[in-house]
Amino acid sequence: MSTENGKGMIQLERVSKWFGDFQALKDVDLAIDRQEVVVVCGPSGSGKSTMIRCINRLEKHDGGRIVVDGIELSDDLRNIQEIRREVGMVFQQFNLFPHLSVLENITLAPRNVRRKPRKEAEERAMEQLRRVRIPEQAHKYPLQLSGGQQQRVAIARALAMEPKIMLFDEPTSALDPEMIKEVLDVMIELAESGMTMIVVTHEMGFARAVANRMVFMADGEIVEVGTPEHFFTDPQEERTKQFLAQIL
Amino acid sequence: MATRVDTLEPMPGPDAEPEGPPGRKLTPREWMRANLFGSKLDTVLTILFGLLLAWLAYRIGRFVFVDARWEIIERNITNLMVGAYPRDQIWRLWTALFVLAAFLGWGAGAMGMQRRQEVREGRARPMPKGGVRRLVPIILLVVVLLGFAQSLQALVLVVAIAAVGAAFNVIGRRTPERLWRYVPLIVLGGILIAFIVVTAFGGVGWSQWGGFLLTVFLAVSAILLSFPIGVLLALGRRSSLPVVRWVCITYIEFFRGVPLITILFLAFFMIGFILPEGVEPPSLVTRAIIGFTLFTCAYIAEIVRGGLQSVPAGQIEAAQALGLSPFRTTFRIVLPQALRAVIPGIVGQFISLFKDTSLVFILGLSELLAVAQNITKQPDFLAEGLYVETLIFASFVYWAGSYWMSRESQRLERRLGVGE
Repeated sequence: MSTENGKGMIQLERVSKWFGDFQALKDVDLAIDRQEVVVVCGPSGSGKSTMIRCINRLEKHDGGRIVVDGIELSDDLRNIQEIRREVGMVFQQFNLFPHLSVLENITLAPRNVRRKPRKEAEERAMEQLRRVRIPEQAHKYPLQLSGGQQQRVAIARALAMEPKIMLFDEPTSALDPEMIKEVLDVMIELAESGMTMIVVTHEMGFARAVANRMVFMADGEIVEVGTPEHFFTDPQEERTKQFLAQIL
Repeated sequence: MATRVDTLEPMPGPDAEPEGPPGRKLTPREWMRANLFGSKLDTVLTILFGLLLAWLAYRIGRFVFVDARWEIIERNITNLMVGAYPRDQIWRLWTALFVLAAFLGWGAGAMGMQRRQEVREGRARPMPKGGVRRLVPIILLVVVLLGFAQSLQALVLVVAIAAVGAAFNVIGRRTPERLWRYVPLIVLGGILIAFIVVTAFGGVGWSQWGGFLLTVFLAVSAILLSFPIGVLLALGRRSSLPVVRWVCITYIEFFRGVPLITILFLAFFMIGFILPEGVEPPSLVTRAIIGFTLFTCAYIAEIVRGGLQSVPAGQIEAAQALGLSPFRTTFRIVLPQALRAVIPGIVGQFISLFKDTSLVFILGLSELLAVAQNITKQPDFLAEGLYVETLIFASFVYWAGSYWMSRESQRLERRLGVGE
């Protein structure tokens, strides 16, 4: 496949998605390179979350192609599992497993999907917890942690699978203001370490700091794509200008 | 004359309640004044109901401790406990109790240590002191039974069993950590050994069991069988395969729509009918267990389905995003949370089942209640009308078992952090 030699990591070609009569994605085209950090923003209901949820098949796209690291997403379950192993995801509501301890949350997938022995999985989990700066919480349960800590555990859980791509679906939207920074700091470090990332967020400070490209979506379409400098100082489209005027 | 209050904090008047933090414990005198004699009507009602209660307590107490002729229970205590079980084989039951005490005591000790470590590591909330208090309903039951048995031998055996249980509890606390994960398996093995002690090597098959022994056996086996089947039915009802889904829905709706007695009759008549010729039909007890299981698992399925629906979709998405297979997502993520949420409902169903085992008298089986009825017809007690004594006794035994299950369920809920 053409993508294997190039530096392309994710290709979306004319991707469309319907929810009943409502078209959530309209012929979306987007190519993301290895080690690229792309921030997706736009008004609510514009299809940002739907787009990244299509990439790991939490939503099934109805038309077009999605190619992730050389693998085309199809209905074949093995194919889907293979892509999910390479793509980590962080959710707005954390979605930690409340009945498992922090350590078990993180080791569950490496042990069951990657077949790592318990000891190795636990050592790796502790490494990830140090990376997100909460190794001392390893034996607690998610509901005993603050929102910011929970989201950092969720990031560690996704990283423990050693993914090539990380998807963030509004990772700070459910957090109290004083906890947003601790999560963003972890994400900035991750971006600087060379991870390929797609981040749906309204945190424009984060976007300015680490984004290689900005994607602005509205009504299921990609309206504008550009570098952060361009995007913030000289937006081309009227809808982008309106949106930026509202949130900045 | 209206008084104007100038200060923001009104000063307490001379007859105001003495101040204290809210939620302060009232002295008994204050409590009585607040709750029992607050107004004239309260006072009248308190006195009225107080008298009524005192009268009832007097009548019941007088019956239980003075008028009742408990010799019918005393002379039939073995019948009530084991029914027609051969008397020369009773040593097997005692042996089984020793085995159970050893394994359960050991298991409780090991689990307790595990729990303590979790609390120490900050993973679990400290539990209110349980210990022997957990067993209060069971101890009460044993004391009453021993009182009726009036047998030194039984007393010595019970004390020895308790001692074995306590000794193994101490041993259990020293179980090395690497064995902890096998504790449930080992305890289950112990129960199996106890079962073998009674039934195998020239022992007594369960078709010959009766009385309380049969009641417990019916309830425990139907519980152990109906729980996994019910969980599978609940999962099947949510399956994406239409055939599986429709089979499960049909099963559940059929068995929930039919009275338990009907199902017991069906199990009685139909099982022999369905089996191919030449195959010996299972014993009455086995058929009863099949009937109870068929019935109970349909209810368990619906209770568990409620729990499955309570697990947020985000949990499944997170598991999928991590690449967990549908099987693992169900059994590692969804089911544990679903079952936790419905412990009260499931235990409620099991308590019902425990009491409903008394219905097997219609199949001609003699469990506790049937024995309690039958002994009133013995030559010595015929026409004496000692129904109340036997019914009170049977009710007490059912109550002790049900209450114990109910308390264990509450404990389990707190331990697993339901409602956190």
